[in-house]
Amino acid sequence: MPELRRSAAGDRYFDYCLQPYRPRRPPEGKLRADNLLLHTLELAGLRDAAWPALEALIEGLGRDMVVWGAKHDGERLFFELYVYDPQKEDPRATVSGLTELLAPHLRILPRVRETVPYMMVSFDLDAEILASGEVRELNLYLTGTDAHEGRSYVVREDRRELANTYRFLRPKPEIDTVLGLLRSSLFLDYEDPRVLAEVMPPELFACKRVCVAKKRLRDGVYYSGIDVDALLWFLERRGWPRSLVDFTRAHAAELDHLYFDVGLDFEMRGAEARATKTSFYGTI
Amino acid sequence: MQSYKGRFEPTRFEDLTVTVDFHCHSACRFCIVQEGMNLYKGVPFERFEQAVDENGKAPRYRRVTFTGGEVTLEKRLFDYLRVARERGGFEHIRLQTNGRRLADRAFAERLVEAGVDEFFVSLHGPDAATQDYISQRKGSFDEAWAGLTNLRALGVTIMTNTVLTTLNVDHLARIVDTVAPLEPARMEWWNYLPMEDKADERGLIAPLSRLGPAMIAALDRAETRGVDCAVKYVPRCALGRHGHLIDNTQPDVVIVEEFYDLYPKFACLYEAKCEHGEACLGLTHEYVHKYGWETDRLVPTPRTTPWREPEDGLAFGSDDPRGARDAAPSADHPAWRALVDGVAEPLGAELEGLLLDRRRCTFRFRAGEASVDVVLTKRSEDRPALARSRSFDLSYRNLVLPEGAAAERATLVKVVEAAVRAIAQRDGGAMLLDERKGLVGEDALRRRARERRK
Repeated sequence: MPELRRSAAGDRYFDYCLQPYRPRRPPEGKLRADNLLLHTLELAGLRDAAWPALEALIEGLGRDMVVWGAKHDGERLFFELYVYDPQKEDPRATVSGLTELLAPHLRILPRVRETVPYMMVSFDLDAEILASGEVRELNLYLTGTDAHEGRSYVVREDRRELANTYRFLRPKPEIDTVLGLLRSSLFLDYEDPRVLAEVMPPELFACKRVCVAKKRLRDGVYYSGIDVDALLWFLERRGWPRSLVDFTRAHAAELDHLYFDVGLDFEMRGAEARATKTSFYGTI
Repeated sequence: MQSYKGRFEPTRFEDLTVTVDFHCHSACRFCIVQEGMNLYKGVPFERFEQAVDENGKAPRYRRVTFTGGEVTLEKRLFDYLRVARERGGFEHIRLQTNGRRLADRAFAERLVEAGVDEFFVSLHGPDAATQDYISQRKGSFDEAWAGLTNLRALGVTIMTNTVLTTLNVDHLARIVDTVAPLEPARMEWWNYLPMEDKADERGLIAPLSRLGPAMIAALDRAETRGVDCAVKYVPRCALGRHGHLIDNTQPDVVIVEEFYDLYPKFACLYEAKCEHGEACLGLTHEYVHKYGWETDRLVPTPRTTPWREPEDGLAFGSDDPRGARDAAPSADHPAWRALVDGVAEPLGAELEGLLLDRRRCTFRFRAGEASVDVVLTKRSEDRPALARSRSFDLSYRNLVLPEGAAAERATLVKVVEAAVRAIAQRDGGAMLLDERKGLVGEDALRRRARERRK
């Protein structure tokens, strides 16, 4: 495995919404979260292919300004990169800017009218995209009626469609709203009390923010601001590759200054809720 | 955010518990240190002496409790007792025991003569059939009962401990009937903690649908018979009108560090909504995975004060069995309070509280609606600190300022400065805070077991 990337004086600490946080412990000499991304890319056999595009983003947008998501559907590992600019302050953090920034490595095909009030754009990164060198699909995120609500759209060259709506909440003080949103579901049946425990396990309930997403074909829940112990529980429980679990456990003491964010998509399989896709996030 | 539920450190720092041995002649089906039995070492005698002498110099603990494993099997038990009695400055010496060896009247008498004045005896069933099944030792109930009878005759303080599982949940009120004639100072009811069997393959976690009504019936019976009770690790609202009997505090325990890695974490969906969210632990994670969040069965009491994610465990009352209701609160640590006595008031502020645990002493100062914590940790030159006294690193945190509270902010800045100066002056270097909860390293485990693990 390549050399580990350690925290440096200029590092900043952001959650997956690029909201800053104060590290849980003094970060000096500890590991950056992107080691987990690079390890997972390595497991997917994509590290070398993905690195030039990642490097271009880091150089173009700044260290720690790109959010990455590593995703697992039980079989396949794939990735998503997210670029935020809610205040439209940085022309490089737009679809147009990214298209130019990544041109030597990836061709972003969809075009977007830059007057659309999107606050974030993201795209997937997997073996097929890296092999073709073409990003055919973008995700645009627009704020809803208040800052804690949002909608995401899938944008292709020839088509745009609503992908999901979501809402951020503080899990403990806003538990009634959280429960109401979760239970308002076409896909999940909360009759069996263990379904709620599966969707909102106590290990993840101890987070800073929860995001309830209503997607086209399933329900999603995201937990933001969990510690490395909870991340380890999540990776093990959700069947992430043993190598990643072992890596995380071996370096847990060097990752304990960080908060992590995780997401789960649920469907019913018989009487049980099953997480069909899970993800975790950091910045690079 | 992790709250104290996540960390499980709601600790009562009046009591020091010393784990002297990890052998046992019973084999209780719910044993929470089953895998640690015969593996963990007890506290080395030298380490115990150090703790006793520290308390002799700077009193922090009113009581020392010896436990194990089964404490009465410890070969050097009377040496431990002698040191505790002669050098520790403790008001009480307690044994936590299955009571079986106390059936030997001479042995029980010798313990009392050695200074033990409180006995905390396990009784998990109302009769031999239940208790012997749980302990997996025929005759264990009769022995424990004979032991309790001996203690009663010797006039010492008796407390009982019942671990709540599916194995005895239907017998709780009858246990009260069995124990009440002994006139115990207190009966304690500890909900089973799944420490090693996380998936509850043994089927020991009792669902609230059974445990709640059974516990209420037992507490009703105890009230009728005039027996004081305390309940641990059961959601407060599951106890109905007996909710005030919840006491989740634990003494400061010197034990193998690994023990704490196994300790369950707790959660409750209604933590922020409930008036008792800070004191009630809720449900273990293992319970939630097995039975769900109990969204309908748990009933939060509406809050009268705003909820704030706690960063520290809270101060809890005394568990002195002889004067529980009237005893000084555990937050009243005079030696520690003296470090900042008189600092806040001349500046228009007040010392709102003092939280002391093994690793940290926190003074919370208040000026109007604003507050700030001054935190003492063990002195270490390796990390930054606002200031250092002879024993401590000093820092501040949790500055809570309502909007427009500029005057209060200025006051609290002065209070922090004054507190730091006072502590630096008054700390003579004999007060101690530790950084680790327990015994660590190779000395904490038995050689034979370590080798077996390789």
